[in-house]
Formats: sequence, C-alpha cells, structure tokens
Amino acid sequence: MSEWPFLDIVVFLPLAGTLLIGLIPRARVGALRIGALAVTVVTFLLSLGILMNFDTGTADFQLGTSVEWIPEWGISYITGVDGVSLWMVMLTTFLMPLSVLASWSVERRAKPYFIFLLTLETGLLGVFVSLDLFLFYVFWEASLVPMYLLIGIWGYRNRVYAAMKFFLFTLVGSLLMLVAILFLYFSFPGSPTFNYQELLGTPLSLGTQRLLFLGFFASFAVKVPLVPLHTWLPDAHTEAPTAGSVMLAAVLLKLGAYGLIRFAIPLFPDAARELVPLVMTLAIIGIVYGAAVAIVQRDMKRLIAYSSIAHLGFIVLGVFVGSIQGMSGGILQMLNHGLSTGALFMLFGALYERRHTRRIADYGGVARSAPVLAGVFLFVALSSLGLPGLNGFVGEFLVLLGTFFRYRWWVVPAAFGIILAAIYLLWAYKRVFHGPITNDANLRIPDLRPREMVMLAPILVLIAFIGVYPKPFLDRIEPSAQKVVDQLRDSSALPEAAVGDADAP
Amino acid sequence: MSLPAYLPVLFLVILSTLFAAGSMFVASKLSPAKWTAAKVEPYECGIEPQEGGVPGGERFPVKFYLLAMLFIIFDIETVFLYPWAVAYDELKVFGLIEMLVFVAILVAAYVYVWRKGALEWAE
Amino acid sequence: MPLDIPAVRLTGIAPEIALCATALLLLVIDAVLGERRNRWYLPALASIGLGLSIYFATEAWGTTRLELSGMVAVDGFASFVKITLAVFGLLTVWLGRDFLVRERAEEGEFYGLVLFAVAGMMLMAGAADLIVVFLALETFSLALYVLVGFRRRSLLSQESSMKYFLLGSFSTAFFLLGIAFVYGAVGSTNLYGGEDGPGIVSSFMATGASDVGLLILAMGLLIVGLGFKVAAVPFHMWTPDAYQGAPSPVTGFMAAGSKIAGFAALLRLLDVTLYPLREDWRPLVIGVAVLTMVVGSVLAVVQEDVKRLLAYSSIAHAGFVFTGLIAANDRGVSGSLFYLATYGITVLGAFAVVAVLSGRDDEKVTLRDYRGLFYDRPLLAGALTLFLLSLAGVPVTSGFVAKLVVFGAAIQEGYWWLAVVGMVTSAIAAFFYLKVLVVMYMQEKETEDAERVRSGPLSTGVIGLAALATIVLGLYWGPLIDVAERATLFFAGG
Repeated sequence: MSEWPFLDIVVFLPLAGTLLIGLIPRARVGALRIGALAVTVVTFLLSLGILMNFDTGTADFQLGTSVEWIPEWGISYITGVDGVSLWMVMLTTFLMPLSVLASWSVERRAKPYFIFLLTLETGLLGVFVSLDLFLFYVFWEASLVPMYLLIGIWGYRNRVYAAMKFFLFTLVGSLLMLVAILFLYFSFPGSPTFNYQELLGTPLSLGTQRLLFLGFFASFAVKVPLVPLHTWLPDAHTEAPTAGSVMLAAVLLKLGAYGLIRFAIPLFPDAARELVPLVMTLAIIGIVYGAAVAIVQRDMKRLIAYSSIAHLGFIVLGVFVGSIQGMSGGILQMLNHGLSTGALFMLFGALYERRHTRRIADYGGVARSAPVLAGVFLFVALSSLGLPGLNGFVGEFLVLLGTFFRYRWWVVPAAFGIILAAIYLLWAYKRVFHGPITNDANLRIPDLRPREMVMLAPILVLIAFIGVYPKPFLDRIEPSAQKVVDQLRDSSALPEAAVGDADAP
Repeated sequence: MSLPAYLPVLFLVILSTLFAAGSMFVASKLSPAKWTAAKVEPYECGIEPQEGGVPGGERFPVKFYLLAMLFIIFDIETVFLYPWAVAYDELKVFGLIEMLVFVAILVAAYVYVWRKGALEWAE
Repeated sequence: MPLDIPAVRLTGIAPEIALCATALLLLVIDAVLGERRNRWYLPALASIGLGLSIYFATEAWGTTRLELSGMVAVDGFASFVKITLAVFGLLTVWLGRDFLVRERAEEGEFYGLVLFAVAGMMLMAGAADLIVVFLALETFSLALYVLVGFRRRSLLSQESSMKYFLLGSFSTAFFLLGIAFVYGAVGSTNLYGGEDGPGIVSSFMATGASDVGLLILAMGLLIVGLGFKVAAVPFHMWTPDAYQGAPSPVTGFMAAGSKIAGFAALLRLLDVTLYPLREDWRPLVIGVAVLTMVVGSVLAVVQEDVKRLLAYSSIAHAGFVFTGLIAANDRGVSGSLFYLATYGITVLGAFAVVAVLSGRDDEKVTLRDYRGLFYDRPLLAGALTLFLLSLAGVPVTSGFVAKLVVFGAAIQEGYWWLAVVGMVTSAIAAFFYLKVLVVMYMQEKETEDAERVRSGPLSTGVIGLAALATIVLGLYWGPLIDVAERATLFFAGG
C-alpha cells in the first residue's frame, strides 16, 4: 500500500480542475482548451501511479481509502481497485486527454463544455472505484447529468431528443436499482451498512435474490445495453459530439458490464447463476442483431453505435459464461472496445469536421486525398473486428474459448457475429475510403493534422501492444476475474468465503 | 386493513345521496308552483323595488362597506368585554392582564386602520 | 360558580406570541411612519421577530409536555417544525423585500401577513387538540389568501386568491365536520389526553372499540381538510392556479410552509394519535399517496408555465412525503420532517430564481422566457439547475437524500411496492425538470430584453443560501437527520 492516496486524488482532480476552468474568462477558448488538456494529462500521469503501485496476483481491493461519511446510516467513503476496475480507471484517464484533443474544434460555449467534460470524468472514475453502494449510486447518477448536457448542448440536430432518451432510460433503470439497494440495506442482518464487502455475505432467499438481481440488472442492462433496452444508444451515440461519443462508447457502456461483474453477480450469485441462460441469450441476440443492423446503416456514427451493441454482447457473454477465460476475455474486451471504438469515433469525428456529413454515401475515395487517415482507420477497424495480432482478437478469442468450454454450441452464433463484424466494418471502410469519387469535395479532404496524430498515436500503440503481448493486462485481471467466476459457478458455500478473502490482509 | 369497517361509511354516503336526491324530487312533484308578480321580484327586505334596483336608484359608495365591516369587527370584539366584566371578581388580576392584552391588540388595529386612512370619508 | 383559572405557561406558544407581537408592532410602525422611500426597518423588524421565535423554539427543545390544558404539545417535533418554519419565513421576508421594492407594493402588510401565517403554521405543529389545529389552520390560511392576492392590480393574482379562498373554505368546512364526527364518535377531540380529559384513542378504547366506522369517516374528513393544505390529490385543484397567480415569493412560501404545517398536523394525528388504528387508515392514505404521486408527476409534464410546473411538482412531492407518513415508523416520521425541511429550502430557492427572472410585474414565467438562460445568466441558471435536480432527486443534492429516507422507511415497513411507485413517478417527474434544463441550456434566446433583470442583494443572498443548503445537505446530512430523529424521539413520548 502506498501512502499517497493516488486513487482518490485521481478521482477528484478533474472536479477540482473545473474550478481552474471556471476562472478562465469564457472568451479565451484557447486557454480553456489548454487548461482542460493540462488537467486531464496530469490526471492520467497520476493514474500511472495507481498502475505502478498495483499489486498483481491478488483479488483484493487495493490502494483505496475508507472514511466514515454518514455513520448514522452506515455510509462510508470506501474506494479501492482490483483487476477489473484498474483497467477501467486507466482507460478513462487515458482517453480523457485524447477526448479533449478531439474537442479542439469546439468553439461555441467552450467553457461549460470543458467543465462538463471534467465533471464527467470524476463521475465515471468514481463509479469504478466505489466500494460502498451508496457512494457508487451517487457517482452513477452524477455521471448522468454532465453526459446529458454534453449531448443536449453540443450534439447534432436531434440532440435534445437523444439526450432526453439517454437520461430517462438510464434513470428508470437506476431508480429500480436504488430500490434494490435499499432493500438489500434493510435485509442486512448486522448493523446497517452500505459497505459492499460487508453486504456480500447477506443471506437472502432465492426469491428475494432474484428480485434484487433483476433490480440491479435493469439498471446495468440499460447501460450495457442488452438488446431490448438498447434503443437509446444509437440515438445518443449519433447525436453526441465527438468527445461525447468517445466517452459514451469507451467508458459509459462499460459501466453496465462493470456493474454486472462487480455488483450483480457477487451480491446475488444464486440468482445470477439461475439466470445465466437468459442473460446469455440476450447477449447472443445482441451480438447477431447489433452486427446485422450495423450492416445496413447509412449513417457512419449509427454503424459504429450498432457495432458497440454487438461488442458489448460479446463482453456480457464472456462475463456470464462462467469460465475464467470468458471472464478475463470479457474484461479485456471492455478495455479493447474502449480503445478501438473510441478511436473509430475520433477518426470519424475528424472526418466529419472536414466534410460535415455523417452519410456513408456522401463519402468515397477519401483514401486518395487522405491516405494516412484511411490507413489508421483500417488499422482500427481491423482491431475492432478481431484480426489476430491486434487487441480485439485476444479478447474475442478468450471469450469464445471460455464459451466453448462451458456451452459448446453457443460458440456458433457468437462466431457468426465476428464474421458479420468483418462484413460491416470492411464494407463501410471500402465505401468511405475507396471506390469512385462521387463528390468533388472528397478530393480536397486534408489528411490528419499533427494534433490528430498525437491524439490517435497512443491508442494505436496500445492496440498493437495488447494484440502482441496481453500478458501484463491479463495478469492483473485474472485473480479478480477468478473470484467472480467462482462466485458465479459454485455459490452455495461461497458468500462467507468471499468475505473472508476480501478481509484477508 | 379491515374492509368491513368501511361499510358504515358506504351506507352513509348512499343514504345521504338518496335523501338529498329524494327530497328534491318529492318537493318538485308535490309542491304547487304558482308564480305571481310579487314572487319573482327581487327581495329587498320589504322595501318596494324601484327602477335601478334600490331606493334612490344609485350604488352605495364602496367606502360604506369598508366602514361597515370595520364597525362589525370592532363591535363584535367589544362583546368580549361583557362576560369579562361579569366575571371580573373571579378572574382578578389574571383577567385584567388578559383583557389589557386584548384591548392593546384592538388599539393596534385601530391605529393601523386610522393611519391607513380607512376611516376618512371624504377624499 | 367559581371559575377555575388554568395555570398558564406560555412557553409552548412563545414563538407564536413573539411573531404575532412583532407583526402587530410592524403594522403599527408602518402605519405611523407612513410612506417613506426606503422602509428598510420593516424587513429588519420582521427578521428580528422571526429570530426571536427561533430562540423560543430552541428553548423548548428537549422537553416533552402538554401545556394550556392539554391543548398544545411542547416537544422536539414541534420545535423542529417551528424552527424550520421560521427559517422559511426569514427567506420569504428577504425575498419579498426585493420583490416589493421592484413592484412598488405595500411592504408593511406583506411582512405582517407572512409573520401571521408563520405563527399559524407553527401553532399547527404544536397543536395537541383538533380545535387548536383548526384555529391554526384558519390563522395561516387567512393570511395566505390575502398574500396570494397581494398583487392587487393583477387580475390573475386576484382570481387565484379567490379560487384559493373558496376552495380553502370548503376544505376547512370538511375539516370542521371531521372534528364534529370525531367528537360524536368518541366524545373527545384531544390528540393525547391526560389529566385534563381523555384523548381520542383512549375514549375510543373505552367505548369497546367496536364501531370504528364513524371514526374512520371522521378521519377521512380530517384528511380531506389537511390534504387540501398539503396539495394532495384529489384535493389539489387549487394548487396550479394559486401558485401561478400568487407573487413568486409567496408561491415559494406557500409551497414550503403550508406543506410542512399540514404534514406536521397529519403526522401527529395519524402517526401518533391514531397509530393504534394504522391498519384502518392506511388503505385510505395509500390511495391518496399513489394518486398524488401519479397525478402530480404526469400532469406536470405538459405544463408550459414554470410556476404551474413547480405547482404540480409540489403535488408530486406531497405524495413522496406520504410514503414516509404511511410507514409510520421512526424513520418515516424523521424522514418526512427531513424531507419537508429540505424540500422547503430547495423550493424557496427555486421560486427565488423565478421571482428574480420574472421581471417587472412578475410576468416572465413561461418556459419561453427561460430560453438560453444559461448563456445569459450562468449563475442564476446554475442555481436553478441545482434546485431542479434536487427536486428530481439526483444525488449530491438534499432532494436525493430526502427521497432515500422516506422510501427507505416505506421499504423497511414492507411497502416496497410503494417505493417502486415512488421511483417510477420520480422518473416521470425527472422528465419535466429536464424539460426546463433543455430550455435553459439547449435552446437559443429569441429576443434581447429591453431591460435586464437584476437580482437584488437579498434575493442573491437567499438563492445562495438555498443553493448552499441544498448541496451541503446532499453531501453531509448526518447532523440534520440526527436532529430530525431526536425530534421524533421526543415526539413519540409527548
């Protein structure tokens, strides 16, 4: 344990940064950008401290603090990371400076824009590190408002509708979760507490577990999103400004999967195990449906949005399949999807700034005028569709392997989803960057600027790195993944054991 | 929750509705309705109505109502002085203090009314 | 016949006496000094009176006794409500000062009426006999009727005052009838009973506890009367009209004050006196609560006038408080108190912003007038955002904590489905709060104002205080909830 509370500083630094931004006059857009970039970069550098101090090979929570907040109600400020949340925190801090770079062209109302973006970062980081259900819920909801405003103010034409839909869908889910949290709180036999690690041992009848699991599941399934609840996502992704889309796809969607891994399964293992077939079916439907719908999209951002639904289906499949390969693969895939889809949105955002249209048909032959852009896009697309040697392959392969061990035949539709992914991504690539030039404007598209290269280069490096050498990532993920898998598979005797593990020094 | 306990409520509602509707119905059927000129005239406390509605045919100044209301308020409040006077022997100092407070409040109201010009008749 | 002079201890109603005396003094001073350009001394005097009443109310904290022949209860519950009401009163007076100066309206009467209203509401909190509840109800209602119509030259204001008055008298008549029925059923109107005579429940038990019907009828009538004051459906019809027509500071005061006063009486009546009969009144109140939550939230969605919107939101909030009342456990009562206190401050803050923005004649109150507000007046819009998010129950605001504690109480008592109804209606309600945000952040201003609205120093102070309270109580509410819990402790023993 390090004496320096890296984790808590990283979480709240962006929020403190909003004060800095608040001091800059609103007319000085350049200073605002630099300020936001500085805050996010410093946050990222500090978060490297978390990575370095992280103790590999244990499933315990690390680097956190625990302070009483409202002792009357058993609410505490408890934070900590394990192998699951570590990479989510890193992903967030890593992508945020890049999102600021991607927002360089925001001229209108730049001051509130960066303030909301930084607030969003604190909210997201808070969700990943909270180990108190109350604290978790606070961050969970708090991350909603800035995202809502980002979409609603700086989005495209249908932004208000999309923002509203996003907010209400998520809110309904979260409120059901809140009832479940309160129910759990009152069911806890000891002195009332919201402490996650203590609540793990709450004895619940299967019927109650089932209801509470569904309460949590409602909230997380909306966020993931699983298929019947996904309709907010294409709208929100499409209408959000570039940085908003990046954060939505890369981090916000992971909140749902993260919630399933961290809360829904460990708190209600019996119910989770019982509902595995349901969740897996939904995941498979998501994979195939998302991919199939992506193929027919005419709007590039919508296409990427539907591809997210398919990818998230993969992640949920891996998480619920109940084998260590599936779980680790799912968690790694959360990271991979954040990187590659984030990069796709950034690339398309750059393209949009040049041509101001989202229709795929308006493009064509762009590779001739912007070869570097086209090359980078192809690289990221290949990572997204799981080309061996790039990061997507590792995650998807592990998920498929894990599924194969446990449910042999479910692999077939999942693999089919990968084939579809190749179709929609490569086809879209071909239509945008190659083929005949139907519009002269496509001839004059400038190639990637230095700022954009700086913004994309780190992602490309990571994509290749994880693809070739995923071991450092998996090493940190596996102990925590194993713990959740154990809870999902053999839960009859487990709650006590889990608490014992967590309390061990 | 004991639903039978609500039964009397239900009965009361039904009974009162029946009674109200029934009496109106019976009255409309049984009563002889003969309209005469005197019956349809507006009621003016026995004074014969004239053109324009009231004697003199003009509206009262609104100040009259204000003054009348003020009179009634102070008049009614003074009524409390009588029982106090009757029971003065028993109430003793306690009663005296109470009544002083009461009168003080009246005086405050009086000062307020006076200074706000509510008692001025002429403009 | 020798008269039995009761032992008179005025400590129980000292806050009310302080307020009434100040109000009288204020009216006389205003009348004697006459028209002056700057009448700063009036709000100052009103503030002193309210401060005095806070002092007297804190004096009574920690004791539990009945005073004035068992007519008034002196307990932590009453003290808590009285202090809260005095704070509401202070905020209203300060806010009213800026408003009255802007509108060039009579000042003395405004403060006097506010003080009388606060006094009546306070009496409501301490009332231990239905007759006193009635007296208190009338006192503050009369003051409010006038306050609602305070903009004399505005037809809207007069109309709403008239409506409020007519429907209010109607509901008061119901309440009175309820008292009569209670007396008829059990032969007592006292909530506790003691050496001065038996209380409602003890008399009821003495009759053999067989005929609960008449008592339930009476309870129903009492709930009608009080439900009107707290704007519960189906007795809510007056709310949007009265809220819309009343001067904005008065609207805020009505929303905050009459709600806590009405609920204070309801809590004492249902959760203490009639607690043994809770299985009998619960179905009735649950029906009212569900209706209130649903109707309030759903109808608010279509409102275009900010004040009407907040009126429907206040109806929905009454429904949320009812869930705490229905739970009828310690957490429910303290939660309701906490809810009412924080809701009051938040809603006063919201109406403070509305009052500032409404401009001369209090007219600019439609959603159109709020377009692009954030880019014009970022701080005001930010404050309003905070208040609306608190009303919607988003974390880090006091509104979230308040919802949490009342719904928590309901879940604890096994009414988890009521909490689910509450959550679903909260989600519906979120829609219309968001609608205001959409207008403020995501739409463009149509025309430039000829006259830029200015927030006076007192209004700014009120908004700042309310915003601070909303966020501080959202982050660290331990002390206040602790006080509310101790208030109920004294209350149960009272």
